[in-house]
Amino acid sequence: MLLELLQLSDSALPVGAAAHSFGLETLVEEDLLRPENLETFLRDYLAESGVLEAAFVRRAWGGEELSGLAWEFEARRPARESREATHKMGRRFAELFNAMSGHRVPTTLPYPIAFGAAGAIVGVPKESTALAYLQQSVTGLVSACQRLLPLGQIAASRIIWNLKPAIHEAVSHSERLEISCFTHLPELGSMRHRSLETRLFIS
Amino acid sequence: MRVGSQDPPWKVIRAFPQTNGGTLVHLHNVSGGVLAGDRLALRIDVGTGAIAQVTSTSATRLYRHRAGAADSEQHVSISVAKGGVLEYLPDALIPFAGARHVQRTTATLSDNATLLWWECLAPGRQAMGEQFVFERLQVETAVRSNIRPLLLENFVLEPRLRSLESTARLSVYSHAATFYAFQVGRPASDLRELESILAEIAREVSCPGVTIWGASALASDGVIVRGLSATARDLPSTLVKFWTAARLFLTGGEAVPPRKLK
Repeated sequence: MLLELLQLSDSALPVGAAAHSFGLETLVEEDLLRPENLETFLRDYLAESGVLEAAFVRRAWGGEELSGLAWEFEARRPARESREATHKMGRRFAELFNAMSGHRVPTTLPYPIAFGAAGAIVGVPKESTALAYLQQSVTGLVSACQRLLPLGQIAASRIIWNLKPAIHEAVSHSERLEISCFTHLPELGSMRHRSLETRLFIS
Repeated sequence: MRVGSQDPPWKVIRAFPQTNGGTLVHLHNVSGGVLAGDRLALRIDVGTGAIAQVTSTSATRLYRHRAGAADSEQHVSISVAKGGVLEYLPDALIPFAGARHVQRTTATLSDNATLLWWECLAPGRQAMGEQFVFERLQVETAVRSNIRPLLLENFVLEPRLRSLESTARLSVYSHAATFYAFQVGRPASDLRELESILAEIAREVSCPGVTIWGASALASDGVIVRGLSATARDLPSTLVKFWTAARLFLTGGEAVPPRKLK
């Protein structure tokens, strides 16, 4: 079970994460995101968007009806590029998981929902599934920032290491019935991303 | 237009006919603002094929919380029947120092119903030097068609606990504005076209560091425009630009602004 979880949450899993910055490219371009405030940004981002996504991982793991859950997740993700990115990654993830495991996770789900459903199938505990999801999510965002910012491997690794308490806190808060998420600036980064003159990322 | 019922502090000012066949209604809060412990409810039902525009007479002031009182609440419930059009254009929400408030808006849209709606959030009484010194503001928004949720938002702002100046939230900006344009059943390709039109306006009016705007098609039946600004000055006139473009695209008719916005 541990080995399966490590593989599913490995940043090298080919789900297309490397192609997406989820609006961070715009924030870097406008000098709002810099190496010195990246860790604080990610800590706050986890407290908002991380809690929301972990809640959907948990709910999918818990067996809620998946297509209704997907509609709800989409309705909570107003920025199209980021929403489509989670769908593309969810589809790739489900295709990979199904091919590897022989199970049938629907390929029409956003990434956190597909991940939660797969975690339940493999038998990974709910909280561990949510923790692993946020760990790979943060790793993906830091990796994107390494390509956008002067951020070395040691600094990047230290940021990911330092964020573990924030990941735990986000997963803990995701148990609440009412999830608050206020990420207007990153959302606007995603909405405005396609207007950048030069882009490294799809989103 | 029919006023089902009204109780103080709400007062529905009489309806004015508009040149596009619609009806303009002004809402007035005669108490001047929302007091600690207030529970205000507003219900707007737009009938089949009807056109209505609802606006307020001034900003909604959220007064300081009083010890022992419940958080103030304002619930807005909207329904738009088949082929109806509602333009809901309230003034800004201004949470005063120490305010604790819940703002809850739900909308149910039938087939081919159109909802054009904006909302603005100020950081406080800036003339008094207030910026993010309210205690707690909870905003819940749910827009649904008969088939699925179209938009769900729920956020709690507690500036003393979680800095709004974080890059993950508002950074250098202090004012937030959102414009929503829904039309149930509108093809996704049309909404992507509307997104492009609104995104072009957003690009023209954005000045990073001062004001930024962005537009995005929602997962179904709508488009959202979000704006952040370091000043309230240009938000109303910019919202009118988005509303005008979206109304023309979705209904084929011109937007008729309330007199205060002309």
